[in-house]
Amino acid sequence: MTPAFDKLQKHLKQLPGLGYRSSERIALHLLVEKPARLPALVEALEEAARSVRRCARCGSLAEGELCGICADERRDHAVVCVVEQVPDLVAIERSTAYRGMYHVLHGKLSPMHGVGPDDLNLASLFERMAASGVEEIILALSNDVEGEATCHYLTERLAAMGHTVKISRIGFGLPSGGGVLYADSVTLKSALDGRRAYS
Amino acid sequence: MRLRKLTLRHFRNVVFAGLEFSGRQQFLAGANGQGKTNLLEAAGFLTALRSFRTAESKLLVGHGQSAAAVSFELEHERLGEAHVLIKLRRDGRELWCDSARVTRLADHLGKFPTVVFSSQDMLLVRGSPAGRRRWLDLTLAAMDAGYLAVLQTFSRALAERNALLKRGGADERQLAAFEQTLAPAAAELIARRAAGLLALSATLKSAYGQISGETEKAGLTYEPNFAEPSSDALLARLEVGRARDAQFRTTLIGPHRDDFQFAVRGTAAKDFASEGQQRSLVLALRIAQAAWFQAKSGVRPVLLADDVLGELDPERRRRFWGTIDAEAQVIATGTSPPDGALGPWQVFEVADGMFTEKPVGP
Ligand SMILES: [Zn+2]
Repeated sequence: MTPAFDKLQKHLKQLPGLGYRSSERIALHLLVEKPARLPALVEALEEAARSVRRCARCGSLAEGELCGICADERRDHAVVCVVEQVPDLVAIERSTAYRGMYHVLHGKLSPMHGVGPDDLNLASLFERMAASGVEEIILALSNDVEGEATCHYLTERLAAMGHTVKISRIGFGLPSGGGVLYADSVTLKSALDGRRAYS
Repeated sequence: MRLRKLTLRHFRNVVFAGLEFSGRQQFLAGANGQGKTNLLEAAGFLTALRSFRTAESKLLVGHGQSAAAVSFELEHERLGEAHVLIKLRRDGRELWCDSARVTRLADHLGKFPTVVFSSQDMLLVRGSPAGRRRWLDLTLAAMDAGYLAVLQTFSRALAERNALLKRGGADERQLAAFEQTLAPAAAELIARRAAGLLALSATLKSAYGQISGETEKAGLTYEPNFAEPSSDALLARLEVGRARDAQFRTTLIGPHRDDFQFAVRGTAAKDFASEGQQRSLVLALRIAQAAWFQAKSGVRPVLLADDVLGELDPERRRRFWGTIDAEAQVIATGTSPPDGALGPWQVFEVADGMFTEKPVGP
Protein backbone atom coordinates (compact mmCIF):
# COMPACT_ATOMS: atom_id res chain seq x y z
CA MET A 1 0.00 0.00 0.00
CA THR A 2 2.37 2.71 1.27
CA PRO A 3 5.90 2.19 2.62
CA ALA A 4 4.99 3.15 6.22
CA PHE A 5 1.82 1.04 6.12
CA ASP A 6 3.76 -1.95 4.81
CA LYS A 7 6.36 -1.49 7.52
CA LEU A 8 3.70 -1.47 10.24
CA GLN A 9 2.01 -4.53 8.78
CA LYS A 10 5.33 -6.37 8.60
CA HIS A 11 5.94 -5.78 12.30
CA LEU A 12 2.38 -6.79 13.24
CA LYS A 13 2.71 -10.00 11.24
CA GLN A 14 5.68 -11.04 13.38
CA LEU A 15 3.46 -11.09 16.47
CA PRO A 16 2.29 -14.52 17.66
CA GLY A 17 -0.99 -15.67 16.18
CA LEU A 18 -1.13 -13.02 13.47
CA GLY A 19 -0.96 -13.89 9.78
CA TYR A 20 -0.94 -11.70 6.70
CA ARG A 21 -4.71 -11.08 6.64
CA SER A 22 -5.12 -10.31 10.33
CA SER A 23 -2.10 -7.98 10.41
CA GLU A 24 -3.52 -6.13 7.40
CA ARG A 25 -6.89 -5.81 9.15
CA ILE A 26 -5.31 -4.45 12.33
CA ALA A 27 -3.17 -1.93 10.43
CA LEU A 28 -6.21 -0.70 8.47
CA HIS A 29 -8.26 -0.51 11.64
CA LEU A 30 -5.64 1.58 13.43
CA LEU A 31 -4.77 3.92 10.59
CA VAL A 32 -8.02 4.30 8.64
CA GLU A 33 -11.08 3.07 10.52
CA LYS A 34 -10.38 4.24 14.11
CA PRO A 35 -7.38 6.56 13.97
CA ALA A 36 -8.60 8.30 17.13
CA ARG A 37 -7.61 5.25 19.17
CA LEU A 38 -4.03 5.32 17.97
CA PRO A 39 -2.43 7.85 20.37
CA ALA A 40 -3.74 5.99 23.44
CA LEU A 41 -2.39 2.70 22.07
CA VAL A 42 1.02 4.21 21.31
CA GLU A 43 1.15 5.66 24.81
CA ALA A 44 0.15 2.34 26.38
CA LEU A 45 2.87 0.55 24.42
CA GLU A 46 5.49 3.08 25.46
CA GLU A 47 4.44 3.01 29.10
CA ALA A 48 4.40 -0.80 29.20
CA ALA A 49 7.79 -1.00 27.49
CA ARG A 50 9.17 1.44 30.06
CA SER A 51 7.72 -0.07 33.21
CA VAL A 52 6.88 -3.78 32.76
CA ARG A 53 9.70 -6.22 33.46
CA ARG A 54 10.32 -9.61 34.99
CA CYS A 55 9.91 -9.87 38.74
CA ALA A 56 13.41 -10.24 40.19
CA ARG A 57 12.26 -13.10 42.41
CA CYS A 58 9.71 -15.18 40.52
CA GLY A 59 10.05 -14.14 36.88
CA SER A 60 6.40 -13.09 36.50
CA LEU A 61 5.42 -9.64 35.25
CA ALA A 62 6.22 -6.75 37.55
CA GLU A 63 6.42 -2.98 37.46
CA GLY A 64 8.78 -2.61 40.37
CA GLU A 65 11.51 -4.85 41.69
CA LEU A 66 8.89 -7.41 42.78
CA CYS A 67 5.51 -8.43 41.38
CA GLY A 68 2.28 -7.97 43.36
CA ILE A 69 2.30 -11.59 44.53
CA CYS A 70 5.93 -11.60 45.73
CA ALA A 71 5.35 -8.30 47.51
CA ASP A 72 2.19 -9.53 49.25
CA GLU A 73 3.10 -10.33 52.88
CA ARG A 74 -0.25 -12.01 53.54
CA ARG A 75 0.49 -14.84 51.11
CA ASP A 76 2.28 -18.05 52.13
CA HIS A 77 5.93 -17.54 51.27
CA ALA A 78 6.87 -21.07 52.30
CA VAL A 79 5.18 -22.65 49.26
CA VAL A 80 6.37 -22.08 45.68
CA CYS A 81 4.39 -23.24 42.67
CA VAL A 82 6.60 -23.69 39.59
CA VAL A 83 4.88 -22.98 36.24
CA GLU A 84 6.04 -22.82 32.63
CA GLN A 85 4.52 -19.53 31.54
CA VAL A 86 2.84 -16.42 32.95
CA PRO A 87 -0.63 -17.44 31.62
CA ASP A 88 -0.37 -20.65 33.70
CA LEU A 89 0.09 -18.48 36.80
CA VAL A 90 -2.91 -16.38 35.80
CA ALA A 91 -5.04 -19.54 35.40
CA ILE A 92 -4.12 -20.80 38.88
CA GLU A 93 -4.76 -17.35 40.40
CA ARG A 94 -8.18 -17.28 38.76
CA SER A 95 -9.07 -20.57 40.44
CA THR A 96 -8.52 -18.81 43.85
CA ALA A 97 -7.41 -22.21 45.18
CA TYR A 98 -3.86 -21.18 45.92
CA ARG A 99 -2.34 -18.64 48.31
CA GLY A 100 1.37 -19.37 47.98
CA MET A 101 4.15 -18.01 45.77
CA TYR A 102 5.06 -18.77 42.16
CA HIS A 103 8.11 -19.29 40.03
CA VAL A 104 7.87 -18.88 36.25
CA LEU A 105 10.41 -20.91 34.22
CA HIS A 106 9.51 -19.30 30.88
CA GLY A 107 9.62 -22.65 29.11
CA LYS A 108 10.48 -26.31 29.62
CA LEU A 109 13.44 -28.47 28.64
CA SER A 110 13.36 -29.43 24.97
CA PRO A 111 16.66 -30.28 23.26
CA MET A 112 14.75 -30.67 19.98
CA HIS A 113 13.85 -27.01 20.14
CA GLY A 114 17.21 -25.97 21.50
CA VAL A 115 15.92 -25.26 25.02
CA GLY A 116 18.36 -26.26 27.75
CA PRO A 117 18.57 -25.53 31.49
CA ASP A 118 20.37 -22.23 30.85
CA ASP A 119 17.42 -20.98 28.80
CA LEU A 120 15.04 -21.45 31.73
CA ASN A 121 14.57 -19.18 34.72
CA LEU A 122 16.23 -21.73 37.03
CA ALA A 123 19.14 -19.78 38.55
CA SER A 124 16.81 -17.45 40.45
CA LEU A 125 14.81 -20.43 41.73
CA PHE A 126 17.98 -22.00 43.16
CA GLU A 127 18.84 -18.62 44.73
CA ARG A 128 15.41 -18.52 46.36
CA MET A 129 15.98 -22.01 47.72
CA ALA A 130 19.41 -21.10 49.07
CA ALA A 131 17.93 -18.08 50.84
CA SER A 132 15.73 -20.63 52.70
CA GLY A 133 12.23 -20.18 54.04
CA VAL A 134 10.78 -22.31 51.22
CA GLU A 135 9.32 -25.54 52.61
CA GLU A 136 7.35 -26.89 49.69
CA ILE A 137 7.60 -26.81 45.92
CA ILE A 138 4.62 -27.65 43.72
CA LEU A 139 5.53 -28.56 40.16
CA ALA A 140 2.66 -27.42 37.93
CA LEU A 141 4.22 -28.22 34.57
CA SER A 142 2.45 -29.80 31.62
CA ASN A 143 1.89 -33.54 31.49
CA ASP A 144 3.86 -34.11 28.29
CA VAL A 145 7.35 -35.56 27.80
CA GLU A 146 9.09 -32.19 28.17
CA GLY A 147 7.08 -31.18 31.25
CA GLU A 148 7.88 -34.50 32.93
CA ALA A 149 11.57 -34.26 32.02
CA THR A 150 11.75 -30.73 33.45
CA CYS A 151 10.22 -31.97 36.72
CA HIS A 152 12.78 -34.78 36.93
CA TYR A 153 15.62 -32.42 36.14
CA LEU A 154 14.55 -29.85 38.72
CA THR A 155 14.08 -32.50 41.40
CA GLU A 156 17.53 -33.97 40.71
CA ARG A 157 19.22 -30.56 40.82
CA LEU A 158 17.57 -29.69 44.14
CA ALA A 159 18.57 -33.05 45.62
CA ALA A 160 22.15 -32.58 44.41
CA MET A 161 22.24 -29.21 46.16
CA GLY A 162 21.21 -30.89 49.38
CA HIS A 163 17.74 -29.36 49.62
CA THR A 164 15.30 -31.52 51.52
CA VAL A 165 12.27 -29.45 50.60
CA LYS A 166 8.92 -31.23 50.10
CA ILE A 167 8.20 -31.56 46.37
CA SER A 168 4.81 -32.36 44.90
CA ARG A 169 3.44 -32.53 41.38
CA ILE A 170 0.10 -31.52 39.96
CA GLY A 171 -1.07 -32.23 36.50
CA PHE A 172 -2.23 -35.80 37.00
CA GLY A 173 -5.88 -34.86 36.86
CA LEU A 174 -5.36 -32.55 33.92
CA PRO A 175 -6.04 -33.51 30.32
CA SER A 176 -3.06 -35.46 29.04
CA GLY A 177 -0.56 -33.32 27.18
CA GLY A 178 -2.23 -30.11 28.32
CA GLY A 179 -0.74 -27.59 30.71
CA VAL A 180 -2.52 -25.82 33.52
CA LEU A 181 -3.63 -23.17 31.05
CA TYR A 182 -6.25 -25.50 29.57
CA ALA A 183 -7.70 -26.70 32.85
CA ASP A 184 -10.77 -25.05 34.32
CA SER A 185 -10.84 -23.66 37.86
CA VAL A 186 -12.59 -26.67 39.40
CA THR A 187 -10.09 -29.08 37.85
CA LEU A 188 -7.19 -26.93 39.03
CA LYS A 189 -8.56 -26.72 42.55
CA SER A 190 -8.94 -30.49 42.84
CA ALA A 191 -5.52 -30.99 41.26
CA LEU A 192 -3.97 -28.67 43.86
CA ASP A 193 -5.82 -30.35 46.74
CA GLY A 194 -4.85 -33.80 45.49
CA ARG A 195 -1.21 -33.06 44.72
CA ARG A 196 1.11 -35.97 45.27
CA ALA A 197 4.61 -36.26 46.59
CA TYR A 198 7.11 -36.38 43.78
CA SER A 199 10.40 -38.21 43.79
CA MET B 1 -19.23 -52.65 8.50
CA ARG B 2 -20.25 -52.18 4.90
CA LEU B 3 -19.22 -49.31 2.65
CA ARG B 4 -22.32 -48.25 0.74
CA LYS B 5 -21.18 -45.10 -1.00
CA LEU B 6 -17.71 -43.74 -1.63
CA THR B 7 -17.12 -40.29 -3.12
CA LEU B 8 -13.72 -38.89 -4.10
CA ARG B 9 -12.88 -35.34 -5.14
CA HIS B 10 -9.43 -34.36 -6.41
CA PHE B 11 -7.89 -37.43 -4.82
CA ARG B 12 -4.68 -38.17 -6.78
CA ASN B 13 -5.73 -38.63 -10.42
CA VAL B 14 -9.44 -38.98 -9.59
CA VAL B 15 -11.13 -35.63 -10.26
CA PHE B 16 -14.51 -36.92 -9.19
CA ALA B 17 -15.92 -40.37 -8.52
CA GLY B 18 -19.11 -41.40 -6.80
CA LEU B 19 -19.52 -45.15 -6.40
CA GLU B 20 -22.60 -46.79 -4.95
CA PHE B 21 -21.96 -50.29 -3.75
CA SER B 22 -24.53 -53.03 -3.51
CA GLY B 23 -23.89 -56.57 -2.38
CA ARG B 24 -20.78 -57.90 -0.70
CA GLN B 25 -18.22 -58.04 -3.51
CA GLN B 26 -17.04 -55.18 -5.71
CA PHE B 27 -14.44 -55.45 -8.42
CA LEU B 28 -12.57 -52.55 -10.05
CA ALA B 29 -11.24 -53.66 -13.43
CA GLY B 30 -8.81 -51.74 -15.59
CA ALA B 31 -5.27 -51.40 -16.84
CA ASN B 32 -2.53 -50.28 -14.45
CA GLY B 33 -2.21 -46.57 -13.69
CA GLN B 34 -5.90 -45.79 -14.29
CA GLY B 35 -6.85 -45.11 -10.67
CA LYS B 36 -7.98 -48.47 -9.21
CA THR B 37 -5.41 -48.42 -6.41
CA ASN B 38 -6.13 -44.74 -5.73
CA LEU B 39 -9.71 -45.67 -4.93
CA LEU B 40 -8.66 -48.44 -2.54
CA GLU B 41 -6.14 -46.08 -0.96
CA ALA B 42 -8.94 -43.56 -0.33
CA ALA B 43 -11.16 -46.28 1.16
CA GLY B 44 -8.35 -47.51 3.43
CA PHE B 45 -7.66 -43.95 4.63
CA LEU B 46 -10.87 -44.18 6.68
CA THR B 47 -9.38 -46.42 9.38
CA ALA B 48 -6.54 -44.34 10.80
CA LEU B 49 -6.22 -41.41 8.38
CA ARG B 50 -3.13 -43.07 6.95
CA SER B 51 -2.41 -44.18 3.42
CA PHE B 52 -1.10 -47.69 2.90
CA ARG B 53 1.18 -46.32 0.17
CA THR B 54 2.70 -43.14 1.55
CA ALA B 55 3.34 -41.35 4.83
CA GLU B 56 2.97 -38.00 3.06
CA SER B 57 -0.68 -37.05 2.89
CA LYS B 58 0.03 -34.06 0.67
CA LEU B 59 0.76 -36.46 -2.20
CA LEU B 60 -2.91 -37.45 -2.10
CA VAL B 61 -4.19 -34.04 -3.20
CA GLY B 62 -4.77 -33.88 -6.95
CA HIS B 63 -2.29 -32.02 -9.12
CA GLY B 64 -2.87 -28.25 -9.06
CA GLN B 65 -5.65 -28.54 -6.43
CA SER B 66 -5.66 -27.05 -2.95
CA ALA B 67 -7.72 -29.81 -1.30
CA ALA B 68 -9.03 -33.33 -1.73
CA ALA B 69 -12.13 -34.84 -0.13
CA VAL B 70 -13.27 -38.39 0.51
CA SER B 71 -16.73 -39.13 1.80
CA PHE B 72 -18.02 -42.45 3.12
CA GLU B 73 -21.57 -43.67 3.67
CA LEU B 74 -21.52 -46.76 5.84
CA GLU B 75 -23.68 -49.38 7.43
CA HIS B 76 -22.09 -49.87 10.81
CA GLU B 77 -22.62 -52.45 13.55
CA ARG B 78 -22.51 -49.87 16.34
CA LEU B 79 -23.37 -46.56 14.68
CA GLY B 80 -26.07 -47.70 12.24
CA GLU B 81 -25.98 -45.47 9.19
CA ALA B 82 -22.79 -43.45 9.46
CA HIS B 83 -21.30 -40.70 7.35
CA VAL B 84 -17.62 -39.81 7.46
CA LEU B 85 -16.00 -36.95 5.56
CA ILE B 86 -12.26 -36.43 5.27
CA LYS B 87 -10.87 -33.23 3.77
CA LEU B 88 -7.20 -33.18 2.92
CA ARG B 89 -5.18 -30.07 2.32
CA ARG B 90 -1.48 -29.95 1.62
CA ASP B 91 -0.87 -28.66 5.15
CA GLY B 92 -3.45 -30.60 7.13
CA ARG B 93 -6.74 -32.41 7.26
CA GLU B 94 -10.24 -32.21 8.63
CA LEU B 95 -12.37 -35.10 9.83
CA TRP B 96 -16.14 -35.06 10.17
CA CYS B 97 -18.26 -37.90 11.50
CA ASP B 98 -22.05 -37.58 11.14
CA SER B 99 -21.69 -33.78 10.70
CA ALA B 100 -19.60 -33.34 13.87
CA ARG B 101 -15.99 -32.26 13.61
CA VAL B 102 -13.55 -34.78 15.11
CA THR B 103 -10.38 -33.03 16.27
CA ARG B 104 -8.58 -35.84 18.07
CA LEU B 105 -7.41 -38.87 16.08
CA ALA B 106 -7.79 -40.90 19.30
CA ASP B 107 -11.57 -40.35 19.16
CA HIS B 108 -11.69 -41.78 15.64
CA LEU B 109 -9.51 -44.85 16.05
CA GLY B 110 -11.11 -48.23 16.58
CA LYS B 111 -14.37 -47.49 14.77
CA PHE B 112 -13.85 -48.07 11.06
CA PRO B 113 -11.59 -51.04 10.34
CA THR B 114 -10.37 -51.73 6.82
CA VAL B 115 -7.56 -54.06 5.80
CA VAL B 116 -5.58 -53.69 2.59
CA PHE B 117 -4.18 -56.77 0.85
CA SER B 118 -1.51 -55.37 -1.44
CA SER B 119 0.83 -56.88 -4.00
CA GLN B 120 3.54 -54.91 -2.17
CA ASP B 121 2.96 -57.00 0.96
CA MET B 122 5.78 -59.39 0.02
CA LEU B 123 8.10 -56.63 1.22
CA LEU B 124 6.86 -57.30 4.73
CA VAL B 125 8.58 -60.70 4.59
CA ARG B 126 11.63 -59.75 2.54
CA GLY B 127 12.12 -56.06 3.27
CA SER B 128 13.64 -53.96 6.04
CA PRO B 129 12.75 -54.04 9.76
CA ALA B 130 11.48 -50.45 9.44
CA GLY B 131 8.68 -51.60 7.11
CA ARG B 132 7.62 -54.34 9.50
CA ARG B 133 7.70 -51.94 12.49
CA ARG B 134 5.56 -49.45 10.60
CA TRP B 135 3.03 -52.18 9.77
CA LEU B 136 2.98 -53.43 13.37
CA ASP B 137 2.56 -49.94 14.84
CA LEU B 138 -0.24 -49.09 12.40
CA THR B 139 -2.00 -52.39 13.10
CA LEU B 140 -1.81 -52.05 16.88
CA ALA B 141 -2.59 -48.31 16.98
CA ALA B 142 -5.45 -48.37 14.45
CA MET B 143 -7.86 -49.96 16.92
CA ASP B 144 -6.27 -48.81 20.16
CA ALA B 145 -5.75 -45.15 21.10
CA GLY B 146 -3.85 -46.35 24.17
CA TYR B 147 -1.17 -47.91 21.98
CA LEU B 148 -0.95 -44.71 19.93
CA ALA B 149 -0.48 -42.62 23.08
CA VAL B 150 2.33 -44.86 24.36
CA LEU B 151 3.99 -44.87 20.94
CA GLN B 152 3.81 -41.07 20.73
CA THR B 153 5.25 -40.59 24.23
CA PHE B 154 8.05 -43.04 23.47
CA SER B 155 8.87 -41.44 20.10
CA ARG B 156 8.86 -37.95 21.57
CA ALA B 157 11.11 -38.86 24.52
CA LEU B 158 13.45 -40.71 22.15
CA ALA B 159 13.65 -37.71 19.80
CA GLU B 160 14.45 -35.41 22.72
CA ARG B 161 17.15 -37.76 24.06
CA ASN B 162 18.63 -38.14 20.57
CA ALA B 163 18.66 -34.36 20.12
CA LEU B 164 20.74 -34.13 23.30
CA LEU B 165 23.14 -36.81 22.06
CA LYS B 166 23.40 -35.24 18.61
CA ARG B 167 24.50 -31.93 20.06
CA GLY B 168 27.32 -33.66 21.95
CA GLY B 169 28.59 -32.92 25.44
CA ALA B 170 25.10 -33.42 26.89
CA ASP B 171 25.04 -33.47 30.63
CA GLU B 172 24.01 -36.63 32.45
CA ARG B 173 21.23 -34.93 34.38
CA GLN B 174 19.39 -33.90 31.22
CA LEU B 175 19.80 -37.37 29.70
CA ALA B 176 18.50 -38.89 32.93
CA ALA B 177 15.51 -36.53 32.93
CA PHE B 178 14.34 -37.74 29.51
CA GLU B 179 15.17 -41.39 30.28
CA GLN B 180 12.66 -41.19 33.13
CA THR B 181 9.80 -40.88 30.60
CA LEU B 182 11.48 -42.87 27.85
CA ALA B 183 11.93 -46.07 29.86
CA PRO B 184 8.37 -46.66 31.12
CA ALA B 185 6.92 -45.88 27.67
CA ALA B 186 9.43 -48.24 26.03
CA ALA B 187 8.62 -51.02 28.50
CA GLU B 188 4.90 -50.69 27.84
CA LEU B 189 5.49 -50.63 24.08
CA ILE B 190 7.51 -53.85 24.30
CA ALA B 191 4.81 -55.56 26.37
CA ARG B 192 2.01 -54.44 24.03
CA ARG B 193 3.92 -55.50 20.92
CA ALA B 194 4.67 -58.91 22.43
CA ALA B 195 1.00 -59.46 23.29
CA GLY B 196 -0.17 -58.17 19.90
CA LEU B 197 2.23 -60.36 17.93
CA LEU B 198 1.26 -63.40 19.97
CA ALA B 199 -2.42 -62.92 19.08
CA LEU B 200 -1.62 -62.14 15.43
CA SER B 201 0.65 -65.18 15.19
CA ALA B 202 -2.10 -67.55 16.37
CA THR B 203 -4.53 -66.41 13.65
CA LEU B 204 -1.77 -66.32 11.03
CA LYS B 205 -0.89 -69.91 11.83
CA SER B 206 -4.37 -71.29 11.12
CA ALA B 207 -4.92 -69.03 8.07
CA TYR B 208 -1.57 -70.09 6.61
CA GLY B 209 -2.48 -73.75 6.97
CA GLN B 210 -5.73 -73.19 5.09
CA ILE B 211 -4.28 -71.05 2.29
CA SER B 212 -1.18 -73.10 1.62
CA GLY B 213 -2.79 -76.48 2.12
CA GLU B 214 0.39 -77.41 3.95
CA THR B 215 0.69 -79.01 7.32
CA GLU B 216 3.85 -77.02 8.07
CA LYS B 217 3.48 -74.62 10.92
CA ALA B 218 3.90 -70.90 10.36
CA GLY B 219 4.16 -68.11 12.89
CA LEU B 220 5.44 -64.69 13.83
CA THR B 221 8.35 -64.26 16.22
CA TYR B 222 8.90 -61.00 18.03
CA GLU B 223 12.56 -59.93 18.00
CA PRO B 224 12.73 -57.13 20.54
CA ASN B 225 15.92 -55.12 20.64
CA PHE B 226 15.67 -55.04 24.44
CA ALA B 227 13.74 -58.08 25.55
CA GLU B 228 12.76 -57.23 29.10
CA PRO B 229 9.52 -55.22 29.34
CA SER B 230 10.69 -53.65 32.59
CA SER B 231 11.05 -49.93 33.05
CA ASP B 232 13.74 -50.31 35.72
CA ALA B 233 15.81 -52.74 33.66
CA LEU B 234 15.67 -50.43 30.64
CA LEU B 235 16.46 -47.39 32.77
CA ALA B 236 19.58 -49.12 34.06
CA ARG B 237 20.54 -50.20 30.54
CA LEU B 238 20.14 -46.65 29.19
CA GLU B 239 22.30 -45.29 31.98
CA VAL B 240 25.05 -47.84 31.30
CA GLY B 241 24.82 -47.10 27.58
CA ARG B 242 25.14 -43.31 27.82
CA ALA B 243 28.83 -43.17 26.90
CA ARG B 244 28.38 -45.40 23.86
CA ASP B 245 25.21 -43.56 22.82
CA ALA B 246 27.12 -40.28 23.10
CA GLN B 247 29.84 -41.70 20.86
CA PHE B 248 27.29 -42.73 18.20
CA ARG B 249 25.17 -39.63 18.91
CA THR B 250 21.98 -41.66 19.05
CA THR B 251 20.10 -44.06 21.32
CA LEU B 252 21.27 -47.55 20.41
CA ILE B 253 18.95 -49.62 22.60
CA GLY B 254 15.17 -49.70 22.60
CA PRO B 255 11.97 -50.69 20.81
CA HIS B 256 12.72 -48.29 17.93
CA ARG B 257 15.06 -51.11 16.81
CA ASP B 258 12.53 -53.94 17.21
CA ASP B 259 11.75 -56.41 14.47
CA PHE B 260 9.64 -59.51 13.95
CA GLN B 261 10.13 -62.49 11.68
CA PHE B 262 7.90 -64.77 9.70
CA ALA B 263 8.76 -68.38 10.32
CA VAL B 264 7.75 -71.53 8.50
CA ARG B 265 8.50 -74.77 10.29
CA GLY B 266 10.67 -72.84 12.72
CA THR B 267 13.01 -71.28 10.14
CA ALA B 268 13.10 -67.70 8.92
CA ALA B 269 10.77 -67.35 5.92
CA LYS B 270 12.83 -64.45 4.55
CA ASP B 271 15.70 -66.82 3.69
CA PHE B 272 14.18 -70.24 3.30
CA ALA B 273 10.54 -70.05 2.22
CA SER B 274 9.55 -70.38 -1.43
CA GLU B 275 7.84 -67.58 -3.35
CA GLY B 276 4.50 -69.38 -2.96
CA GLN B 277 4.98 -69.84 0.78
CA GLN B 278 5.88 -66.17 1.20
CA ARG B 279 2.77 -65.19 -0.73
CA SER B 280 0.61 -67.36 1.51
CA LEU B 281 2.30 -65.87 4.57
CA VAL B 282 1.42 -62.27 3.73
CA LEU B 283 -2.17 -63.21 2.89
CA ALA B 284 -2.37 -64.98 6.25
CA LEU B 285 -0.85 -61.89 7.92
CA ARG B 286 -3.59 -59.66 6.51
CA ILE B 287 -6.26 -62.14 7.60
CA ALA B 288 -4.73 -62.07 11.07
CA GLN B 289 -4.82 -58.25 10.96
CA ALA B 290 -8.52 -58.34 10.02
CA ALA B 291 -9.27 -60.75 12.89
CA TRP B 292 -7.34 -58.49 15.32
CA PHE B 293 -9.27 -55.41 14.14
CA GLN B 294 -12.58 -57.21 14.57
CA ALA B 295 -11.66 -58.54 18.02
CA LYS B 296 -10.56 -55.08 19.19
CA SER B 297 -13.38 -53.02 17.67
CA GLY B 298 -16.32 -55.39 17.49
CA VAL B 299 -16.74 -54.18 13.90
CA ARG B 300 -16.27 -56.41 10.85
CA PRO B 301 -13.52 -54.93 8.65
CA VAL B 302 -13.95 -54.12 4.97
CA LEU B 303 -11.30 -56.02 2.99
CA LEU B 304 -9.50 -54.15 0.20
CA ALA B 305 -7.63 -56.47 -2.15
CA ASP B 306 -5.28 -54.54 -4.41
CA ASP B 307 -4.27 -56.67 -7.36
CA VAL B 308 -3.69 -59.78 -5.25
CA LEU B 309 -6.33 -62.20 -6.56
CA GLY B 310 -4.84 -62.24 -10.05
CA GLU B 311 -1.44 -63.19 -8.68
CA LEU B 312 -2.69 -66.43 -7.18
CA ASP B 313 -3.17 -69.68 -9.06
CA PRO B 314 -6.84 -70.78 -9.07
CA GLU B 315 -6.28 -73.41 -6.39
CA ARG B 316 -4.58 -71.06 -3.92
CA ARG B 317 -7.12 -68.34 -4.77
CA ARG B 318 -10.00 -70.68 -3.91
CA ARG B 319 -8.34 -71.68 -0.64
CA PHE B 320 -7.60 -68.03 0.25
CA TRP B 321 -11.23 -67.17 -0.42
CA GLY B 322 -12.26 -69.94 1.93
CA THR B 323 -10.30 -68.37 4.80
CA ILE B 324 -11.77 -64.88 4.67
CA ASP B 325 -14.84 -63.94 6.65
CA ALA B 326 -17.84 -64.92 4.51
CA GLU B 327 -19.78 -61.88 5.75
CA ALA B 328 -17.07 -59.31 5.09
CA GLN B 329 -17.33 -56.83 2.23
CA VAL B 330 -14.50 -57.23 -0.29
CA ILE B 331 -13.47 -54.51 -2.73
CA ALA B 332 -10.90 -55.94 -5.14
CA THR B 333 -8.96 -54.65 -8.11
CA GLY B 334 -7.42 -56.39 -11.09
CA THR B 335 -6.43 -56.03 -14.71
CA SER B 336 -8.59 -58.92 -15.92
CA PRO B 337 -12.25 -59.65 -15.09
CA PRO B 338 -12.96 -61.17 -11.68
CA ASP B 339 -13.13 -64.87 -10.96
CA GLY B 340 -16.83 -65.75 -11.12
CA ALA B 341 -16.16 -68.88 -9.08
CA LEU B 342 -15.69 -66.63 -6.04
CA GLY B 343 -19.28 -65.41 -6.13
CA PRO B 344 -21.26 -62.57 -7.70
CA TRP B 345 -19.35 -59.31 -8.25
CA GLN B 346 -20.48 -55.77 -8.83
CA VAL B 347 -18.00 -54.64 -11.47
CA PHE B 348 -16.70 -51.13 -12.19
CA GLU B 349 -14.52 -50.39 -15.18
CA VAL B 350 -11.74 -47.93 -14.49
CA ALA B 351 -10.12 -45.72 -17.14
CA ASP B 352 -8.24 -42.45 -16.62
CA GLY B 353 -9.61 -41.79 -13.14
CA MET B 354 -13.23 -42.51 -14.21
CA PHE B 355 -15.31 -45.33 -12.74
CA THR B 356 -18.21 -46.79 -14.71
CA GLU B 357 -20.45 -49.51 -13.33
CA LYS B 358 -20.67 -52.39 -15.75
CA PRO B 359 -24.25 -53.58 -16.23
CA VAL B 360 -24.87 -57.16 -15.21
CA GLY B 361 -24.60 -59.11 -18.46
CA PRO B 362 -26.93 -61.83 -19.66
ZN1 LIG C 1 7.30 -12.20 41.74
